[in-house]
Amino acid sequence: MKFVWRILGLSVGGIFVYAGAVKVLDPAQFGLDIDNYKILPWFVSVRLAFYLPWLEILCGLALILGFLYRGGLSILTVLVLVFIGATIAAKARGLDITCGCFGHASQHWSFTQHMTIDLGIFLALVALLWIELVRGARNDQKN
Amino acid sequence: MKFRAVGEAFVIVALACLPAIGEGFYFRDKVSWQSPIPESELVTIDQARAWGSSAIWVDARPDDEFAADHVPGAFSLNEDRWNELLQQFLPNWSPDKKVVVYCSAQSCNAARDVAKRLRDEAQLKDVFVLKGGWEEWVKKNR
Repeated sequence: MKFVWRILGLSVGGIFVYAGAVKVLDPAQFGLDIDNYKILPWFVSVRLAFYLPWLEILCGLALILGFLYRGGLSILTVLVLVFIGATIAAKARGLDITCGCFGHASQHWSFTQHMTIDLGIFLALVALLWIELVRGARNDQKN
Repeated sequence: MKFRAVGEAFVIVALACLPAIGEGFYFRDKVSWQSPIPESELVTIDQARAWGSSAIWVDARPDDEFAADHVPGAFSLNEDRWNELLQQFLPNWSPDKKVVVYCSAQSCNAARDVAKRLRDEAQLKDVFVLKGGWEEWVKKNR
């Protein structure tokens, strides 16, 4: 069972390292993708476009390497939750947006495809967080 | 676990600043920091009008909005029917023309995206986005 969770952690970590790397290569386009949500002013969107991909990469590496694992897991869970909320809000406002999650690869995804993948990743993160909570509780009991 | 997670998160958040700042420095001249469309690619209505017949107007809004009203002589070119409309637009373009793309101010991402595609895919030079979009045109012509 421990093996299954490890594989899940590696997979999710790998997804975020890839997603972050794709966006690092074209920060201007990612800035436009963030701006498309019409939530933040441009001067914030463009600066986030430089920062968020690196945050994703470091969190993904945290999951892969098991270093700063809980911090990385927590940040990714919050990020994905915020992103799902922003996507739903954009859809509700009738905005036709591209996700920008995986650069050009996700450019033509439908809203349903976005949500399916995002919710899948969110559930994986929640499951990994839950396992960490259980492990933490067991370690506390032993001590 | 809670406090350890918070501490680790703080470390990651702080560490991510370093490569982000480095990348921002590297791209400092390649990114428009103040507006999503660089000033050099924006044009006001007065500027576009001054170009006279060398300006070719492109309406990036959806078909129904174009059908309802548009800049006289403008070509409809939206991303919904990109290939079809581009084929209709291109025979009317020549290298001496300046392309002015507009959309409604609310959905002005369309003008930006259409302008970018005209530059990247159709390899057109002198493609501009109208400041204020269709709403600005209506204001100045009523």
